[in-house]
Amino acid sequence: MKRFFRRAAAPVLGVLLFGGIAAKSLAEPSFSSEQVDLMAAACANCHGTDGRLVGSVPALAGRPAEVLEARLLAFKHEEQSDTTIMDRIAKGFTDEELAALAAHFAAIDPDGDDDSQAEQEPQE
Amino acid sequence: MTQHSQRSGINRRQLIKGLGAASLLPLVGGVTPFAIGGQHAGKVVVVGGGFGGATAAKYLKRANPAIEVILVEPAETFYTCPFSNLHLGGLRSMDEIAHGYDELQDRYGVRVIHARAEDVDAAAHKVTLSTGSELDYDRLLLSPGIDIRWNALEGYDEAAAEKAPHAWKAGSQTEKLRAQLEAMEDGGTFVMVAPENPFRCPPGPYERASLVANYLAQYKPKSKVLILDAKDNFSKQGLFMEGWEQLYGDRIEWVGLSNDGRVTRVDAERLEVETEFGTVHKADVLNVIPPQKAGWIAERAGVTDDSGWVPVKPETFESQQVEDIYVIGDATVAAPMPKSGFCANAQAKVVAAAIAASLESRPAPEAYWTNTCYSLVGPEYGISVAGVYRVVDGAIAEVEGSGGVSPTGAPSATRALEAQYAVGWYNAICQDTWGTQT
Repeated sequence: MKRFFRRAAAPVLGVLLFGGIAAKSLAEPSFSSEQVDLMAAACANCHGTDGRLVGSVPALAGRPAEVLEARLLAFKHEEQSDTTIMDRIAKGFTDEELAALAAHFAAIDPDGDDDSQAEQEPQE
Repeated sequence: MTQHSQRSGINRRQLIKGLGAASLLPLVGGVTPFAIGGQHAGKVVVVGGGFGGATAAKYLKRANPAIEVILVEPAETFYTCPFSNLHLGGLRSMDEIAHGYDELQDRYGVRVIHARAEDVDAAAHKVTLSTGSELDYDRLLLSPGIDIRWNALEGYDEAAAEKAPHAWKAGSQTEKLRAQLEAMEDGGTFVMVAPENPFRCPPGPYERASLVANYLAQYKPKSKVLILDAKDNFSKQGLFMEGWEQLYGDRIEWVGLSNDGRVTRVDAERLEVETEFGTVHKADVLNVIPPQKAGWIAERAGVTDDSGWVPVKPETFESQQVEDIYVIGDATVAAPMPKSGFCANAQAKVVAAAIAASLESRPAPEAYWTNTCYSLVGPEYGISVAGVYRVVDGAIAEVEGSGGVSPTGAPSATRALEAQYAVGWYNAICQDTWGTQT
């Protein structure tokens, strides 16, 4: 259950750091951590497990949630000449789902050795 | 279980989680009680170690490390069909498309058995292996890929595939076709027979034709590629044809169904094929991509229907015909999702979550699938098709407004970027599936 609290805490932390954007997220429908894990797993196909792989496709893990969310929303809603495929993918998700995905990847330690940060004990 | 836990270095947190799941045991229906210790979170046997099976084994352990996961796969080294066309084109070694099972065993505690699954007794919940041993299961997950429908195309049987390789399962077939291409005299014709839908990797034949043409242009410039196709339309057709014209001129000739492209007979000894209306084409290298069906073990398990493929419940990919057997990947009927490694990997994650939930008698989370298929028209010329899928009204559907193909008429910089992303995608999905580091 710690896992649940850990995930639930992420938007709260977001409020403290980036008031406006995260406050909006809080008002939006929430997803179970299992649901967000499954949604996010689809990203690993190109970004590596937990979005940690660094290569021609950029890593996602540990990047600020508001940066990821803004980028995803831009992929979905705006014409961007430098986009190849993410516009086509982002259009398959609701804005709320994209926000949840952004928070999910922001909370992952990019250098972590465990397969999922959610599996780690916060304080050993 | 304990042995696996130690080997995979499962930490205290995960053990607690495992015990938590085990404490639910009295509430769980359909799970064989574990006689000693009471720590049974369920036993899942996964058959097939490709994009679907290997990913599912890993994500089952990520969902709940207490689940006992056994992966049955004959090969110790798995060669991917994706990027095997680069080997045919002389752009990548076989080692660079080879993957193993160390991460699944050492990091995730999956027990990997290198044997062939020979039979399934669904009533008894048992799988028989080629070694003669039997595995019992709470849930069985089949990711068997495809098998060739030998003789469905007249003259194309296992012996013929030695002379006219299909190379539609990567490995020795890929090497055989590459060797034939290398040995071909300049001025020769590489003839490819392309099948009707559905088949594994819809854009695959056309990427292959592209990379063979790329090789010929460099090393055997008087040679040609002829594609004889049993259909009139194919995946990313406009993009492929645009790329072919730009990169290869008239080196690649495509003959569709309406122009008598459908091959009805193969003579592998003479390297000849005959079409529907009696035209005989002579090849110097003959690549027959024949009609296919679900991998054989699916038939033994009783999950295939008259089409030879496996109907599944869209939300969970459980078989429509047999309880407690789940099937993913190319073997399934999952349209509009294509038969791609990417989809098998995406389906694996959904099925892992569904099985983990079912072992705890919880409903499965909502399914999300994505697909991205990159094709290389040339080493620096990439194109793609993407899709996002969900269950709508009880059927798999592409999310409206999402997906689609790369734009036609795009600048070469875009094509070059997609070629780079194709390599990035391959590295990522192989890391995600087998833990391969590049």
